[in-house]
Amino acid sequence: MTEKFNEPFPLAYGTYDDAVKMLNKPGEKVLAEFSVNWEMIKIYCSMVEDGNASYWDEGYANKQWGGIVAPLGLLLTWPMSLQWHPKKERKHYFIAMTIPLPGDTIINVATNTEFHRHLYLGDRVSVVDELTDVSEEKKTRLGVGHFLTTKAQFFNQREQLIAEQTNSLFRYYVPEGES
Amino acid sequence: MSGDITLKYWNEISEGDAVATVTMAVPFERVILDAAATQDYFPGHHNPAYARHQGQKEIYLNTMAIEGFIDRVATDWAGPHTFIRKRQMQMRSSIYAGDTLQGEGRVEKCYEAGGRHLVDVTINISTANGLCVPAVLTLDIPGERPS
Repeated sequence: MTEKFNEPFPLAYGTYDDAVKMLNKPGEKVLAEFSVNWEMIKIYCSMVEDGNASYWDEGYANKQWGGIVAPLGLLLTWPMSLQWHPKKERKHYFIAMTIPLPGDTIINVATNTEFHRHLYLGDRVSVVDELTDVSEEKKTRLGVGHFLTTKAQFFNQREQLIAEQTNSLFRYYVPEGES
Repeated sequence: MSGDITLKYWNEISEGDAVATVTMAVPFERVILDAAATQDYFPGHHNPAYARHQGQKEIYLNTMAIEGFIDRVATDWAGPHTFIRKRQMQMRSSIYAGDTLQGEGRVEKCYEAGGRHLVDVTINISTANGLCVPAVLTLDIPGERPS
């Protein structure tokens, strides 16, 4: 029996030619639902067992950085959409999800990030990204699809650049009989 | 906590130095905690049937968890006064529930640029199945120990 799945996010479907038309068009700037907060920082650090005093020790963090800072690995989390919101349709901020292609799933392939400054408790992140490359159809050990490259810029509420990220993911499907 | 902190300074680091190895088990619980901690409910991170539908053998850690582990390997070694200027990583294979992570690294280059004291390190994340995520980081570390 083939199990049916709800799409993880509302992926857009179309052809490679449709995707190419989306190149180099920045998406809408998205303001994070979450402010940077110590509770989420602690949960994340507990997940990776990171005892870095910059995240846990106010005395140390105040002296070293001027306050508790957010782990850099949480950068993508702050603008994540809630599972449900009373007024907003669920929409992922990654422009990669809106690129029309045939694949019904994704896997991340590479992430390069340059960090310019820390995020502090209470900061509010905004992000804007754009598609900078889409490959022709490729076959990999996972399936058949297209590699998407996106570039994102993350800002704090003072419009200071926090980080720039180039991400590559594979949008693909598993051919019938291979899953 | 502050009394237990170990700090490395740039002028104490040499090319070829080993970055101390860190290991961490990844039971199912940690993969689920990852989804919750990062607010990333993509089903490959919590639904085994969906993961198999993707061609994966089991639910797997997301990018943010791997980033956090890589950064931890770097800052456990260099100390919490480190600012990670750049992180480049490739997800060559997934890290599944049931795996044990091992992060190990090496200092590739020590240099000064723009008034900063920088150290490039490679950090490789492996499981029993081999190398999963190679990464290169540029660390900004205070130049010398305060006198």
